[in-house]
Amino acid sequence: MPQNPFGGKQPIGVIYNTSMNRPDAALALAGLYGFEGKRESRMGSICVVGAGLNAAIFCDVVGRFYMVGPLRNANSVLPVGLPAVDPPPPDSPMVLPAVERKTEKGEPQYTRSIRKLTDTAVPEAVLRNGVIFNAEAVVILGAPATYLAKSLDLLGVKDIYKERVKRLVIVDSGARQDAAAIRKILAEWPTPVFYCGKEVGDALRFPAARIDKDFAWAEAHPVVDAYRAYQPMPYDAPTHDLAAAHFAVHPDSGFFRLSDPGSIAVGDDGAMKFTSGGGAKVRSLMVESAQQDKIIEAFVELASAKPVQPQRFRKPAL
Amino acid sequence: MIVTRKALARRTILKGIGAAIGLPFLDAMTPAFADSQLSGGAPVRLAWFYAPNGIDMRHWTPSEEGPLGQLPGILAPLEPVKKEILVLSNLTANWGRPLLVGAGDHGRALAAYMTGVQVYRTAGADLKLGVSADQIAANALGHLTKLPSLEVGLEETRQAGNCDNGYSCAYAYNVSWKTETQPLPPISDPRNLFERLFGTDIVEAPAAHARRLAMRRSILDQVMGDTQKLQSKLGRTDRRKLDEYLTSVREIEQQVERAEKDGATIDPGMEKPFGVPPEFPDYFRLMTDMMLVAFKADITRFSTIMIGREGSTRAYPEIGVTDGHHPLTHHMGNMQMLDKVRQINALHLALFAEFLRKMKNTKEGDSNLLDQSLIVYGSGLSDGNVHTHDQLPTILAGRGGDFVRPGRHIVYQRETPVANLFATMIERVGVRPEHVGDATGRLAGLSVS
Repeated sequence: MPQNPFGGKQPIGVIYNTSMNRPDAALALAGLYGFEGKRESRMGSICVVGAGLNAAIFCDVVGRFYMVGPLRNANSVLPVGLPAVDPPPPDSPMVLPAVERKTEKGEPQYTRSIRKLTDTAVPEAVLRNGVIFNAEAVVILGAPATYLAKSLDLLGVKDIYKERVKRLVIVDSGARQDAAAIRKILAEWPTPVFYCGKEVGDALRFPAARIDKDFAWAEAHPVVDAYRAYQPMPYDAPTHDLAAAHFAVHPDSGFFRLSDPGSIAVGDDGAMKFTSGGGAKVRSLMVESAQQDKIIEAFVELASAKPVQPQRFRKPAL
Repeated sequence: MIVTRKALARRTILKGIGAAIGLPFLDAMTPAFADSQLSGGAPVRLAWFYAPNGIDMRHWTPSEEGPLGQLPGILAPLEPVKKEILVLSNLTANWGRPLLVGAGDHGRALAAYMTGVQVYRTAGADLKLGVSADQIAANALGHLTKLPSLEVGLEETRQAGNCDNGYSCAYAYNVSWKTETQPLPPISDPRNLFERLFGTDIVEAPAAHARRLAMRRSILDQVMGDTQKLQSKLGRTDRRKLDEYLTSVREIEQQVERAEKDGATIDPGMEKPFGVPPEFPDYFRLMTDMMLVAFKADITRFSTIMIGREGSTRAYPEIGVTDGHHPLTHHMGNMQMLDKVRQINALHLALFAEFLRKMKNTKEGDSNLLDQSLIVYGSGLSDGNVHTHDQLPTILAGRGGDFVRPGRHIVYQRETPVANLFATMIERVGVRPEHVGDATGRLAGLSVS
């Protein structure tokens, strides 16, 4: 773990590029705040690509939900990246209940700092800033790679990524990628790349019953709202982004085996396919069936963790 | 149709012994068919006014996007020229932030503002920054004018030593950087600025300078011969323009002389270079008047002016503020201190508004100097109390030659680099570098279309 300027240990920063249109994305967000509560990582930046303003508001709402105690200053609120495209991509109905939920008094159930497009941030700048704010970082790509690829062209960014990004984890949930952008990423990304294939998330399904049981400590929880809204309950959702997030922060957990180095072929339609061998640099995550229950239990514990008040950096005792 | 008229060269100068004066844009300089920036048409000028120590943003940001209505308190002095400005919200100077380095926000704020790169922390000679936006333009087009660029400051400069938590004074005192390692110190002495603009070279030849001082002759007297020759070639309108221009040069010369005389007898209450007007507003007006003439005479097309160094502790007794500016900005919510900060901010903007009016009133061909310019007023800090480097106070004045549609408040997405604005400005003058600091693209929404 790198040192921070005040002498304490600094958790690794996580840059999460998400479409926030499936329950595994909402669970991944909860899981990343779970890691943050344990000081095992901290959210470096969130960037929504492939969805609209409500998805960004949802990310902001979840971030605020896990923020305990008074704001130290305006910089404590993490800006959420969102492309300013017209028309914006449609939002998943999953995010609306949390965004629109009201208290009995008719006020928004969850606090937020985003209300309009100009409250969001320039996506490639947010992705870059997430790295330069952290001495070490990991990047989770669970969305079209359009803006992560753009960030590579910014002044000095490849050098910064090379120096600070420990790994990039590309999520394949079956959704189509931006073919040109992901090819650029695969060709130019300067640090190790991992591929979390669709079969990984499909094999590790989040038990619907645990949504009711393990999140019961919260009277209202935006991630639970999203999970319930995605499709009629009960259902066990795949955990594509959550699995990738867990590996990104804890690659040494033993939960996943790694393939031999290989390559990802990208079709013109954006479909990805991993093939080992050939001297390429990508490694694919694999799950053993014997590990599944243990991994799922860890995922549940992580995603359902309660918010924790952040500690300030302290100088080590003399 | 056959066109036989030859245009007077855009860079025609009046020469005398030890002195040379550039000329304003005259009708005689316009070829029958020409409108390009490079071929003699009225060029677009770029200027940056840097305001130190941030702004009280609660009294800066207009409440609504779109056409500017009644301006908030600090911007109120701009009311008479609000049709000439854009207020741009949500721009960021990311590399001014502490990131992993810690304190030193003032040094970084200025250094990163126009370079858009990480500031290498050193108090020694091993400076490392980037090329500032004005210098990207000047490096490409500076050969077209007598001076590639002009750097002006309203405070004395220091170029060495530790000025802010391990950051060299070179970072806190220079907004313009010619190369990664070469800052361009601003000229803060009125006479030096005058002589840089109107002298033979950067300063007059020593012998000529001594001779003129001995004779107390005007610099205009020395170019009298050339002036008479030129006047015989000009039409009536151009003769009037030339006469007005030379009169303004003489007025500035007299202002400088007056300032030197006053400065010798009045204690300004702070360290200043010799010859600086004791009242800040007069100092501001004198220096910006010279900047205006430099634009008018096409001596340069790119200029920066630092209203103060970053972290400036200047007091403003002229408006009853006797505390230092920087200490006041760390107000911790104290309303009396905040009120004084607002007074300082408003004073700066009132003077900026005066400058804009003068630019607007300066005719150039069928247009005027302001319409032919893009002028930024901004700071690398927004909230000076807690040192925030996003949601920066930014005004863009002028039209850049029918490029900008002013009179509006535009709100951008958060984290939009202020370098995007600068990249758009220098692209307007035809310079398209691969990178302008940390710019992610061009700034949308400025133009007429």
